[in-house]
Amino acid sequence: MNICQTKWQLPTPPRKAGIVGMPPLQVIQYLNDHGTVIHDLDARLVPDSIEGTAPYLPRVYCAILRTVVLNALRLSLDAVYIDVGAGKCDSALHVSTILTNILSIPVIRTRNQDRRNFGTPVCRTRLALLEKFLTITEGVKHHRPQDGVNFKPCQPQAGFWGVPPRDFSLLELFPDTTHIYGWTRCMENKTPAAEDLELYYNPTIPTVFFAQSFCAKAGLAKFLADRHPSALYLDADYNCGGSAKAKIQAFLELSGAYQ
Amino acid sequence: MILADFGTSYCKFLDTEGGNKPTITATKELPPRLRVDIATGHNGQRFARKYVNELIALARGGESLIADDNYVLLDCGSRDIKFIKYAGGRVADMGWNTECGASMGFTIELLARYYNLDYQNMRPPLRTFSVTCGVLGMSSIFDAIIEGTPAAEAVASFVKGIAVNAYRFAGSPARLYLSGGLCDNPIFTGSLPCEVITLGRFVLLEGLLHRGK
Repeated sequence: MNICQTKWQLPTPPRKAGIVGMPPLQVIQYLNDHGTVIHDLDARLVPDSIEGTAPYLPRVYCAILRTVVLNALRLSLDAVYIDVGAGKCDSALHVSTILTNILSIPVIRTRNQDRRNFGTPVCRTRLALLEKFLTITEGVKHHRPQDGVNFKPCQPQAGFWGVPPRDFSLLELFPDTTHIYGWTRCMENKTPAAEDLELYYNPTIPTVFFAQSFCAKAGLAKFLADRHPSALYLDADYNCGGSAKAKIQAFLELSGAYQ
Repeated sequence: MILADFGTSYCKFLDTEGGNKPTITATKELPPRLRVDIATGHNGQRFARKYVNELIALARGGESLIADDNYVLLDCGSRDIKFIKYAGGRVADMGWNTECGASMGFTIELLARYYNLDYQNMRPPLRTFSVTCGVLGMSSIFDAIIEGTPAAEAVASFVKGIAVNAYRFAGSPARLYLSGGLCDNPIFTGSLPCEVITLGRFVLLEGLLHRGK
């Protein structure tokens, strides 16, 4: 059973809902069918300072979840659907507790166990990496998958493994032929708890294993990077600094990914 | 063509057409209108027509100077530390620490001036301070002096702590190629718990020279 809370269908469908992580397809379809405007609270949606979350979360905390709290505080929403199972993280469970206490709207916990594979054409196509991430993250608001016909597979020259970063500017350093792995691939496949898919990487191409600082997935990123023959482990917090970008650029150039 | 490595404390220059050796200028004495052809280093983008990432310059310099397919090259500067590891002739790992390694070379130089020390006449100490970074580690020096430790010995223990940190950051290799100004500091090189091969201060300039490799 996917949904944690049995009363996840509200008496009146929300006009505007926030989602955290990837709630089950059943929830997304329900929101789509009722014309609900969905805001992906993991993304940067408001210009306010992240310090606005300081009363509720430690400053040394996952930047994505700090962003979730900031968005939830600033946006006018009717409900929040927050995934707290293996498809997201333990910290999201605790953030759901905090949101329940600081918001006056329903905060509905889900545990996404969807197993139907929708495919990963965007992860494997030739397109600016930034555009690929924008396409995939936009896709979580829709219960239908991307039309694979528009995304032909390409031969990869580099790999990006991990979650969508808080700071998308680091994606601009990668060649268009970069393939995406890790949880972002699970996102496109609409199976965020698919551990086998998250563990998959291509050992024949230089790959950056990325994690947000203070994220539990950093352990997995480091572990997989140590096993990969040509890897760079990288973590970044709220913004990706100059030295992190220089590491990516140097790694990709020195491993021949730009050729 | 003028190549330059614009470091935080010192800048290194090489005129490729003059046949001269590289020169060193204190960063605080740079003419503001200075322009060079190709640069690397923290301040490089302000002064150059073309800029090369420091890690790439370090890697290319190592490829030019080290006749080995498996090695770790560590660069210790005024403000940061960075390393590049090669295995089988290919890049296997790299790191650049601009935060926890902050101000290490700069701090070591400041301490020598304040306590009037000449590192060339000192020996690596037995004691190692646990040094998180250059700035925070200075408390260990002050505490040791309060306890009666001579200033020279306390500073040497601090330098040794920084050296051990840098060694661990580079992955604790059995042999370490070292570049940067600290190659000339016998306390620092003698405190590294491995075989050390010093390459001097001009490895990044060498990398600029061979950037197209």
